[in-house]
Amino acid sequence: MKRKSKLIKMSGESEDNSFEKRLRDNFVKSYKHSDKMYKNTTWYKCLIDSEKSCLKEDITKKIHYKFDNDKEMVEEYNLETCVLLRRAWKVKGKLGGEGKWSVEIGDPIYDTTPNNETADIVESKDQPIVTRRNTRTNLEWRIRNLPYPINTYSISANKDEKCIIVRTTNKKYFKKLQIPELERLNLLVEQANISFNHQFQTLIIMYKKPQDLLDMEKEWFEELKKVKPIKDMPDDCKTQ
Amino acid sequence: MASLAAAQVQEVRSITRIERIGAHSHIRGLGLDDSLEPRAVSQGMVGQKMARKAAGVILQMIREGKIAGRAVLLAGQPGTGKTAIAMGLAQALGPDTPFTSMAGSEIFSLEMSKTEALTQAIRKSIGIRIKEESEIIEGEVVEVVVERAAGGGGAKAGRLTLKTTDMETNYDMGSKMIDSLLKEKVQAGDVITIDKATGKINKLGRSFARARDYDATGQQARFVQCPEGELQKRKEVVHTVTLHEVDVINSRTHGFLALFSGDTGEIKSEIREQINGKVAEWREEGKAEMIPGVLFIDEAHMLDIECFSFLNRALESETAPVVIMATNRGITRIRGTNYRSPHGIPLDLLDRMIIVPTEPYHQAELKEILNIRCEEEDCQMSSEALTVLTRVATETSLRYAIQLITTASLVAKRRKATEVSMEDVKKVYSLFLDEHRSEQFLKEYQDEFMFNDGAGDAPQMMEVVQ
Repeated sequence: MKRKSKLIKMSGESEDNSFEKRLRDNFVKSYKHSDKMYKNTTWYKCLIDSEKSCLKEDITKKIHYKFDNDKEMVEEYNLETCVLLRRAWKVKGKLGGEGKWSVEIGDPIYDTTPNNETADIVESKDQPIVTRRNTRTNLEWRIRNLPYPINTYSISANKDEKCIIVRTTNKKYFKKLQIPELERLNLLVEQANISFNHQFQTLIIMYKKPQDLLDMEKEWFEELKKVKPIKDMPDDCKTQ
Repeated sequence: MASLAAAQVQEVRSITRIERIGAHSHIRGLGLDDSLEPRAVSQGMVGQKMARKAAGVILQMIREGKIAGRAVLLAGQPGTGKTAIAMGLAQALGPDTPFTSMAGSEIFSLEMSKTEALTQAIRKSIGIRIKEESEIIEGEVVEVVVERAAGGGGAKAGRLTLKTTDMETNYDMGSKMIDSLLKEKVQAGDVITIDKATGKINKLGRSFARARDYDATGQQARFVQCPEGELQKRKEVVHTVTLHEVDVINSRTHGFLALFSGDTGEIKSEIREQINGKVAEWREEGKAEMIPGVLFIDEAHMLDIECFSFLNRALESETAPVVIMATNRGITRIRGTNYRSPHGIPLDLLDRMIIVPTEPYHQAELKEILNIRCEEEDCQMSSEALTVLTRVATETSLRYAIQLITTASLVAKRRKATEVSMEDVKKVYSLFLDEHRSEQFLKEYQDEFMFNDGAGDAPQMMEVVQ
């Protein structure tokens, strides 16, 4: 009997112990899990699995990604500030062909070759144009050629469509700004993170990077150091 | 509002400027009724009932699109409406069916080989209907401004202002876009969509906000809401492209170098095979639909034996279009050989064809055609002048009589008459020789022309060549 009770007691003790342990483990795990949440996103996995090549030029580092689904992406980092200067995707038509670069972040690349095939209708030069330029802590949109005073604009986060909507009270401008960075990490848009500013006919919208995004970017920058830059860089066409 | 009025004036002017009058611009279709029976005079077509009826049957065959690689030969004397029937067929098929028109002599180009030219022509005649995501601009027109560079001609610049309930944007347009806007008669208050990639304009209707602008709007005027949100959207649209266009898109690997070469030159057969495979894949997946069209080769006797044997082979392919050829030759030498054959086309190819004959017009039909041409060329003609002209057409040729219409109307204008009289026709008849009178004239005065010392030899030489 004694033995038995002892056994029971022991087992009870051990049960208690393990339960507490499990709880603590779980807590730590969940904490760790939330810390590295981005690692489970398809985006991060895609980045890891992609075929990467790297070029170093003075203080910029250019990475070319080739994904499994035939997509191509180029990133350009500033090595001193660790900020992503440019990210562009190669967009191919369904019918094939070379495709064009569509710029997600950074200044747009202008098509220098006049194209006769595309229809000749374009926005006038004086019309608003959106560009992306991120800083270390913020995602930024710059909308140039918007002459209206700052109280004209209302900028709101739309959780259903996962975008930021820019409206004007004079009904002259309206834009849905997609936030691919947040979408890739399955993060929601928070109104509290948005701030904006207007000067020199430019509306600057800033969105504070969430902690998850900051962590991921930091880790990914470290990860990229593993990619060996190509040594024998092809000569740039200096003649152009 | 002033600029709007200006745009309206420009519109009138540019339409009269764009539409030049061609030899077959009066043809608007085959002139058949719903059961494909030819009407006597309809859509610019006169007479030639049997040939038109045959063309109607061919039309049905093309529309059904099941049978690949049939060839049709339109054979008849000059000026019996072979090209007109082909043009009518193209019109009847509508803009969605690819119709490639070429002359037999076009294949003799220095840029590419004969078979390449034919392959391109064949691939231009096969359409692919495919769904693709495209940038669409959808909004209500606020203003259309068209400016023409000083001096009247040449470059045009245009500005289009569009709005939704939330925003407004100005667009710059090139001359092609301006032309299609004017053609669609787009004006302020219309709600339109523009496909940014192809420039295709679609009028959705008039904005409700403009419903009270005019008392006299047509009954068919449709009123729609002004769109909301952003002007530019990405939407799935159905495009029709030809196989040749897909070839070109995929063969241009040299990027900006294409700028200097201009045209595409020859396309590698590997690329074509690759694309055929891709298209077959799309069709299987239900992503794309094939629309076989028509390749029309005018003056088919100008093709040579290599082309004919290539066509023999090409027609057997599943992706071949319906090939229509026209010729005005009788039994003649096949180009590139010393053999003679009906229509200058080898017998094995003739055997694969269905032959539609056209016959010379009767006097009443000639009169009707001349009447239609008078209308087309904007020329008032008195009835006796028309009778004289019809006689000219029967005695000389229809083409010569048609030449006299505008010349006679210019003569009539010079004496400030509103109507062309018999005298005007007679005057131009004496001013301009027809082919027969010219020949007579030459025979009479042969000796006085240059290089005519050995006058007696020339006919003999000709016989030797023949």
